[in-house]
Amino acid sequence: MAEYVGIDLGTTLSGLAYLKPDGNPEIVPNSDGERLTPSVVFFDSHEDVKLVGSAARDGGEPDRTIFQIKRYMDDPEHLVEIDGKKWTPAEISALILSKLKRDCSKICGDITEVVITVPANFNELARKSTIAAAEMAGMKVKRLVNEPTAAAVYYAHSQGVKGRILVYDLGGGTLDTTILEVEGDLIKILTSEGARHLGGSNFDDILLEAYAEQYKKQTGAALYSDERHRRRVLHATEDAKKMLSKLQRVNDTVANDQNSGIARIDLTREGFEKLIRHMLTRTVFLVEQALDSVKLKPSDIDHVVLVGGSTRLPKVKQMLEKMFGKTPKSCGNVDECVALGAALFAKRSAKIQEVCNASYGTLAMVYNAKTQEEKLMNSIVIPKNTAIPCSRTQVYQTSEDNERVIEVDITQGEDDDAKFVDVIGRLTLEVPPNRPKGCEIAVTFSYDENQRVRALVVDKQSGRSKEVAVSYKGAGVLTDEELKRRTSHLRAMRIE
Amino acid sequence: MFKILKSLSKSLGGGKSAPAKPAAVPSKSGSLLDKVNKGAPVTAPVGPPKSAEELCGITAKMPKDEIRAQLKLLFRRYNRSASSLDAKIRGEAESMLNAIVQIREKNFGEI
Repeated sequence: MAEYVGIDLGTTLSGLAYLKPDGNPEIVPNSDGERLTPSVVFFDSHEDVKLVGSAARDGGEPDRTIFQIKRYMDDPEHLVEIDGKKWTPAEISALILSKLKRDCSKICGDITEVVITVPANFNELARKSTIAAAEMAGMKVKRLVNEPTAAAVYYAHSQGVKGRILVYDLGGGTLDTTILEVEGDLIKILTSEGARHLGGSNFDDILLEAYAEQYKKQTGAALYSDERHRRRVLHATEDAKKMLSKLQRVNDTVANDQNSGIARIDLTREGFEKLIRHMLTRTVFLVEQALDSVKLKPSDIDHVVLVGGSTRLPKVKQMLEKMFGKTPKSCGNVDECVALGAALFAKRSAKIQEVCNASYGTLAMVYNAKTQEEKLMNSIVIPKNTAIPCSRTQVYQTSEDNERVIEVDITQGEDDDAKFVDVIGRLTLEVPPNRPKGCEIAVTFSYDENQRVRALVVDKQSGRSKEVAVSYKGAGVLTDEELKRRTSHLRAMRIE
Repeated sequence: MFKILKSLSKSLGGGKSAPAKPAAVPSKSGSLLDKVNKGAPVTAPVGPPKSAEELCGITAKMPKDEIRAQLKLLFRRYNRSASSLDAKIRGEAESMLNAIVQIREKNFGEI
């Protein structure tokens, strides 16, 4: 049985690694001999089989093929309908995880417990969906770990470094950046920031638009008229993008499926970088945001580590070198280090100090005695980046005489402006009647190492209190019974 | 400065004694959030299209450090909104993020 296993369930590529007896992690190839499995699922219409990986990506009909399901893990409304059956993102992910488990178990032994990585800014529903996916695939999730944390663990292990590290993880679908400190065996996470819909597949889409524009200019026709052909051209743009990481110039020829002629596409690296510059600038903003949140300057960072396939773009390295005054490093294959780090994490989790991924607070009227103005604001109780587990208390006052019910909104977000935070829970507390305004209410938030928030509200005068674990209970979460049913259904499926 | 928990109140009456402003009356059926215009863009999308400067609240005489601080604040807000499940909010966030990048390049150069 494989004891320490880590899985990187990526937007475009997934990988599984295990810890060998010598303490070093190793990627386990799938049954197709590939070290990384494309996160693509195809539902065949002739046989009752689900293809996962390269065969699904390269061969299937587009309307029966699911790409990048990870982008929808936090969307309770998102369903994929195939042959009259509706599949949730968790179930599609379970198919990918099943392939990894079935294939890799043949090499490293039976896999029953795993560490799975998620983007740093994955919300609670997305995390729950990931755990459900693993359970449906027959694996218990020992821990979820943030992707940059896993990569940093691998970097620290493989390079034997110490000091302050900034991890820049630009993958197929998301950007995550994490700043941490390594001191011997101890890893302290200082902060993490993330951006969704910002990754290699966005660059492919931008290049596809450029191709379509050039094709139209040369032939007067549309480059693609259906999804199947669009996917074919997208594949070509992805190849061109990769070539431009090695060459300054690339020539390509494309044709549509309507016999409108062939167009010659000339691409330069400079031209491509111009097209994606606005997206890369956003990544710079995110890095600056991470540094600001822990009051660090670029010169305070000892190592900049690149993770994720999109960091192969030369512009990414140049941009970060300019910002930090040092050459960014990568540890081995940038696509694999998250899975490798997850396998290490499976054994070493006790030596990693993590922090709150977001600020948690409540909505309150904040009165400024100087200006005599009162304004509804988000009042932060636990600031982002507080080491976990933690507990913080803020005392408020009631605003009116004879208040009978205290309602406390639990917010998540860094902004003072209430419009720019999310309300993730609510607590109500009944209090005794006939009291003047100004009664003190203590609001305590606690945050544990599984990224769970608990809220406690205490009326100081009466001693009445109420506590709640903030837990996403909305749509998209499967009941235990439903989970069991879907698990046994999935186990009987043929997945290749 | 002290903080008041403006909760749903079942008070029998009595306004606030705070001077100058009338007391905000909590809605009977809604919550505090009803007062928060959630999801509303910072700049309402009515009238002719606004420039990037207008969208970002950048004036001609704003010093560089203020521009930088404003862009950072806006980026933090709209990067978060870009993850919204609401397509309208996501669309507005994308427009704002493009405007933010444009202003940055104008004032501080390209990356």
